[in-house]
Amino acid sequence: MQQEPIQILLAEDDEDDRLFFKKAFNDIKIKTNVRFVNDGVELMNHLTQSSSQLPHILFLDLNMPRKNGLECLVEIKRMTHLKHIAIAIYSTSSSDKDIEETFVQGANIYIKKPSDFTVLKQILEEVVKVNWQYQTSGLNRDTYLLSL
Amino acid sequence: MSLKSVFKSAFFIKCIFVIFLSLLLFISSISYKHTRSLSESSGFLILSSKIQFQLENVLFMLQEAETGQRGFIITHDTVFLRPYKTAQQKIYIAYLKLKSLSVDNRQNHNLDTLMQLVNLRFELMDYSLKIAAGKTDEKILDGNLLRGEKVMNKIRVFINKMYDLEISNFKERQNKYKNEDSFLPISIFLFMIFSLVVLIYSYFKIMKDLWSLKKFNSELLVIHESMKHSEIIGEFGISIWDLETKKLQYSDNLFRLLGSLPQSFEPTIENYLKFVHPDDRTTLTVGAEKLFSENKVTRSFYRILRADGGVRYFMSQGEFISDGSSKLHIGVIKDLTELQLSKMELEEKNHELKQSIVELESFNRVASHDLQEPLRKIQTFISLISEKDKIHISDAGKQYLSKIESSANRMRILIDDLLMFSRTNKSQNVFEKTDLNLLLGNALQMLSQNIEEKNAVIHSSQLPALNVIDFQIKQLFINIIGNALKYCKPGIPPEININCDQLPIDDNPVFITNTFKKYYKISISDNGIGFDQEFSEKIFILFNRLHQIDEYPGSGIGLAICKKIVENHKGFIIAEGKPGIGATFTVFLPA
Repeated sequence: MQQEPIQILLAEDDEDDRLFFKKAFNDIKIKTNVRFVNDGVELMNHLTQSSSQLPHILFLDLNMPRKNGLECLVEIKRMTHLKHIAIAIYSTSSSDKDIEETFVQGANIYIKKPSDFTVLKQILEEVVKVNWQYQTSGLNRDTYLLSL
Repeated sequence: MSLKSVFKSAFFIKCIFVIFLSLLLFISSISYKHTRSLSESSGFLILSSKIQFQLENVLFMLQEAETGQRGFIITHDTVFLRPYKTAQQKIYIAYLKLKSLSVDNRQNHNLDTLMQLVNLRFELMDYSLKIAAGKTDEKILDGNLLRGEKVMNKIRVFINKMYDLEISNFKERQNKYKNEDSFLPISIFLFMIFSLVVLIYSYFKIMKDLWSLKKFNSELLVIHESMKHSEIIGEFGISIWDLETKKLQYSDNLFRLLGSLPQSFEPTIENYLKFVHPDDRTTLTVGAEKLFSENKVTRSFYRILRADGGVRYFMSQGEFISDGSSKLHIGVIKDLTELQLSKMELEEKNHELKQSIVELESFNRVASHDLQEPLRKIQTFISLISEKDKIHISDAGKQYLSKIESSANRMRILIDDLLMFSRTNKSQNVFEKTDLNLLLGNALQMLSQNIEEKNAVIHSSQLPALNVIDFQIKQLFINIIGNALKYCKPGIPPEININCDQLPIDDNPVFITNTFKKYYKISISDNGIGFDQEFSEKIFILFNRLHQIDEYPGSGIGLAICKKIVENHKGFIIAEGKPGIGATFTVFLPA
């Protein structure tokens, strides 16, 4: 489909989740380059370093030590050179409060962590495809919740 | 009787009094004048008779003197000269008396003329006596006596004339007074009658006023007495402050509220402040200052320390009133202790409740995140194993794996449903006017896969727009229709009918106690396996299930959530079922 690999970044403190994420992208046919950061502070350091390549899609866990996902989201959307990055919230929580808040702060997709590996693969594939096909601003509230 | 008419009647009585007083003065002045003229006329009568008497006296004395002269001439005895001399003196005295009595000018003049004649007569008599003593010519004596006789006749005639004049004078005066006398008594009598009428009228008027005052007074007494009692019942007291005289009055019950005997100390602001809790004194004095500087009536809340050490919570409130002559400040002091204590208790309970809500929310957090986290991993690892490593596992192992998987799935359902149930809390949700057709559409979309799988047919009539929590009503539809799809008869495609009616106000079912509210009745019926009517209430209880887990899986929470949602909307839900025929769930939502 495409030549250049899509740059994927996951900010996630849980080792098992990082494992599932990595395995899922291994199985997906699309060419991707997946990298990880362990918490919010690490994420912000990575993004603000001039040497590092910026991701096309950032998957952001909400519940992280030191700096949580929502704080990161707010900071990223405030920075001019980062605010164009597509951000997918990737969380266990399905509370309306979290969904509403992240949407207001400018997140593009809200993914509730699925409990089935096959479903996880489907969702991630979809997200990557959707992101490739649309401009980030074209997403609306209906496509916002990919899984519940 | 109003206060105004009492004042009016008092004015009337004052007028009557003034009129009556002036009448009395008038009558008494007239009477005084009348008596005066009466006494005057009787004075005239006495005067006239005195003058007449003196005139007769003069005549009598002259005759006495003549008799004395005659006796001397005949006898030449000097004894006869004695009455002659005394008569001369007495006539002179009578002359002086007449002079003092005669007020009339004419009579005065006559008197002088009379005295000249009398003097002439005496001269003649003296001359006769001299002649008689000298033994002179008899002819001269006779001539002189004759002249004396002539003068005497003249005097008699003159005295008679004076006498007549006096009588006519008297009659004239008498007539003058007679005229006044006949007129005066009648007018006095008329005035008396008039005064009497006024007096009688005033008497009745005063009696009437007195009666209404009495009635007014007794009414006031009743009000006063009931005021006293209502003060005790209502736990309030009254202070009356005269701003002119600076005098303060407290009602009996105010003393009782302060824990003192009625009127046991002098009501002053200083004495009152002694009862006020030291920390609250400033709030009260600031309120009082505001009252005077801005004329603004304020409410003050403060504590009172009773003599026995008890703390009471008071509220003071007042108003200025003026009754014309003086300006008063009426203060109502209410004992709010019971209310305040229960309010404080309620506040504490409220605080506890808030605390427990916060705890519940954090439990929700734990359940939604921390409890799901390990479960999700278990499930993901199971799915990883079954996808990647199934070929390496023995048949028994595969069976165990599927047992683990179904247990984990069941745990997931339980956690999700429990979460949903605990989130069905109305306090954070907003009621908005929402079209129920839209919510039903959303619900059917959520169930679309299920509907498609079961080949279900759904008929729905037009639904209203109501004030609801939108996602809860959507959940309600999902749960009830989801149940209808789940409990269908094997092999027969489910048919679900959704109907809606607006109930007339007087036709609400018996369980709707608020008969004045309008309700919409939404019924969802299916052709599934139904249930025995005896379970119609039990199925709404949390974790209550009618079927075995392996027959129809479920947590037993779905309908409990439905009941909670409907209750959040102040509605009702009932279930009717016939085994083998179908079930109908009816929701009543207020319009």
